[in-house]
Amino acid sequence: MNEEQTIREKLRAFITRELIRDESYNLGDDEGIVTGGLMDSFSLAEFGVYVEDEFNIYIPDSDLTVEKLDTLNQMVARIQRDLGA
Amino acid sequence: MPLDLASLLTFATAAVLYAGLLNGRWRGWALLIGSTLAIYWLQPPLAPRFADYVLPTATLALAILGWLLTRPPDVESRQTTLREDRLTLVVLFVLAVGMAFNRYLDAAYRLTASRPPSPLWTAVILLGLGGLFLLSARLAAKADQRRVLSGGILFMVVVFVALKTAVLSTAVAQLWRTLTGQNPALAAPTDLAWLGFSYVAFRLIHTLRDRQTGLLPALSLREYVTYIIFAPAFIAGPIDRAERFVQDLRALPHMVGLDAARFGEAGLRIASGLFKKFVIADSLAQGMSLTAVNAAQATSTLGLWMLLYGYALRLYFDFAGYTDMAIGLGLLFGIRLPENFDRPYLKSNITTFWQSWHMTLSSWARFYVFTPLSRSLLRRKPRPSPTLIVLVAQIATMTTIGLWHGISWTFFIWGLWHGVGLFVHKQWSDRTRKWYRELAEKPWQKRAWTLFSWFVTLQFVVLGWVWFLLPELGLAAATFGKLFGFGW
Amino acid sequence: MANGQSSTITWRMIGRVLGKTAVLFLLLNLLFAGLEPMETLGRVSLYNWLLPGRVRLPYGENPAESYNLSLNNVPAMLASHAINRPKDDAEFRVLLIGDSGTWGWFLPNEDTLAGQLNALGLETADGRTVAVYNFGYPVMALSKDVLLLDAAMQTDPDLILWPVTLESFPRDKQLFPPLVQANPARMRRLIADYALDLDANDGRFITPTFLDQTIVGQRRNLADWLRLQQVGFAWAATGIDQAIPAQFDLRRSDFEADESWQTFTQAATLTTDDLAFDVLAAGMTAAGPVPVLLINEPMYISQGQNSDLRYNAFYPRWAYDQYRALLGETAVAHNWPYLDLWDTIPPDEFTDTPVHLTAVGNKLYAVMVAEGIRPFLAEKPDLRHPNPQGLITR
Repeated sequence: MNEEQTIREKLRAFITRELIRDESYNLGDDEGIVTGGLMDSFSLAEFGVYVEDEFNIYIPDSDLTVEKLDTLNQMVARIQRDLGA
Repeated sequence: MPLDLASLLTFATAAVLYAGLLNGRWRGWALLIGSTLAIYWLQPPLAPRFADYVLPTATLALAILGWLLTRPPDVESRQTTLREDRLTLVVLFVLAVGMAFNRYLDAAYRLTASRPPSPLWTAVILLGLGGLFLLSARLAAKADQRRVLSGGILFMVVVFVALKTAVLSTAVAQLWRTLTGQNPALAAPTDLAWLGFSYVAFRLIHTLRDRQTGLLPALSLREYVTYIIFAPAFIAGPIDRAERFVQDLRALPHMVGLDAARFGEAGLRIASGLFKKFVIADSLAQGMSLTAVNAAQATSTLGLWMLLYGYALRLYFDFAGYTDMAIGLGLLFGIRLPENFDRPYLKSNITTFWQSWHMTLSSWARFYVFTPLSRSLLRRKPRPSPTLIVLVAQIATMTTIGLWHGISWTFFIWGLWHGVGLFVHKQWSDRTRKWYRELAEKPWQKRAWTLFSWFVTLQFVVLGWVWFLLPELGLAAATFGKLFGFGW
Repeated sequence: MANGQSSTITWRMIGRVLGKTAVLFLLLNLLFAGLEPMETLGRVSLYNWLLPGRVRLPYGENPAESYNLSLNNVPAMLASHAINRPKDDAEFRVLLIGDSGTWGWFLPNEDTLAGQLNALGLETADGRTVAVYNFGYPVMALSKDVLLLDAAMQTDPDLILWPVTLESFPRDKQLFPPLVQANPARMRRLIADYALDLDANDGRFITPTFLDQTIVGQRRNLADWLRLQQVGFAWAATGIDQAIPAQFDLRRSDFEADESWQTFTQAATLTTDDLAFDVLAAGMTAAGPVPVLLINEPMYISQGQNSDLRYNAFYPRWAYDQYRALLGETAVAHNWPYLDLWDTIPPDEFTDTPVHLTAVGNKLYAVMVAEGIRPFLAEKPDLRHPNPQGLITR
């Protein structure tokens, strides 16, 4: 498993367990998580806290938006960008 | 809201000249100068002496102060922009002092609402203020920028509260009247109706906070001030974001001047705004919508409901029409302002309603109240229950939005109403997510459920307007009761 | 970059759209002028289905406060009124026309003559409920009364009450009311049909040109029609149709030693040239088979300075006495049911003018009018020719 996949699976597990609260849910990589009604803006705040704890990355509040972090792909890309920087 | 057909026509004419005749590299400067003139011109007359000159000048001063505080910490980016920034400063100084020369013009030709103070005194005071700014900027440069920025945000909040609380703003007006030799007993909360201030304050707080988190790009003084006072969005928003605004601003030199596509889109937008505001909203205002007066006179429950619905529609068409005009005018000048409304009354839950009503304000509150507050509560050890965090964060966010309209109990209750509504909806949707997913496969049930949810959501929003509209708590409570047949 | 979303828009296209819009607007205006649809449009109304019908005719200068306004579109006025709905078998419909006193100046609807009459709960001998509709309108001229009576006949009244006073009679006042001037076609028809001694080509009639008939030319009338529907919502919620001031100046009770009235500077003999009895007769004829009870309405009678010369600010004694005698004689001559109530209300019950009553005044007035109505409610009323002498109270 490369780094990207590790991040992706960690996030997928966190989101289905903690945010969607349905671990049986089969979350797609490009599925709109907020726009699809699976989680809300509060979940984005929870996501921000999780990313800070897990990857030691601080995503500013005004970046925790539906436009920027709606899909698993967007989230992974963002974390990789910040890890690389 | 004081935009009429005459000022709209002036804006549109200016836009055509700007797009048709002006060399691309002067467009940015034209927007700065035009917007500066516009904020003096649009400010309605105020009773305290010189107020309708001083307040627009104070808007400029706040913008300059905001820029000083939000310059990026690295020295390099400061020096490259220095020359243009000095020029901007001179331009703003000349314009502000120049506006004071309206003192010598006949009232019919004045650009300011009433007679401004003497240009000489104005110049002296502005130079003094400038010195003070530079000195404090020097001192601030040595201090921890995070703290300075927090101080700046606090300052903006304090000014906001002082102006938006009836008691405090009356006190300020009394002081003002005393200083200018007017009768302080005549002071009223509406004395200092500072045009555009609510929007200016929230734009400033956005840049201060985004400098703290490092999100704000480096802006020249010209760019920063233009963002804060951009004329089409000055009166009634929308509240753009600085990083988005400067993208358009920096593209202006290469923009096609008389671009049919841009003008066509802008024209349609303005026409739609005119229709919404001056045909629909103004018709509804003529006896079809609830007011403090007819709410107190009402004798029929059904009639009261009709007036309340009339008000709900009027408020939407008034504000959405305004936004259309602002966006259309912005487009004429080459700036695409953000959308503010997305058919809010057709939404089927309160959360999506708030994602489509006054969107730029609700996003602002999400970025600067909801998310940071939720986050900091989530980080507390031991972590409070998520339900409690959501409740606190929603209520704090919505009461902020409420109090932004004016600091009073009724706006507070309106905020509370929506905060609780959003909280309840989150609890509901957390528990019914699975059920909703299954509902998607039953189109008829889904349709019926959506219709029912839309109806409930609309009633909730419309009932909330009672608190938003009626300024007196007693009248609002009585009207609320009467809508349900109590207290007749 | 703030470029338009669609790059297919060209200036030529914008020009075409603007051109077409202009042509369409022009055509619509011409069509509108050709069709002259204002009267038809007036019949379209939100009242009496979405909104309750108005209890009195639209009239008012300040719609923002009174939730009411004056307009010249007679069908729109009628359509907004509660009388404009089907009459059921249990209703005995009474149409009450008249001036501002009848309309109820400074009075809420329950205190007007119509309101007080309805409060008496009158019934016909065969058990129908008497419903009185206030169709008064605040201008003093018989011509305006007949114009509105003529329009209201389609609402199928069973009885018409027509309070009048001398101020409505001067011949040269007949073409004075704006409502009359703005409805030349209606008024000219009345002049022709009843051979009225009024000039059908009088310069005061507003005769619209073709351009005046376009949408642009009619914008004021269109706006009034629309506004009437709009303020209906506030009226429905509040029941307010008049901005009644908390305080107002009372009618004068002391006068100069002055006997002038209208164009007369001193006492003279009034004739049917001066007073428009022909217009009164036209109203009687316009009512067709429906009986009309003519009422000489109560007025303020002063005891103050120079009250030996004048009854009140309106009338010197010589003019009013002659008028009253002429009216009584004419009613008898034509066999018109007639009720003379001129001095029946105590002076304290008048408000700002000699013909505007208080709530109490209207209550007293209503009781007397109710007595006058009673013969018409009998099992087999002689509707056409009740004995007028029996109705004259004094």
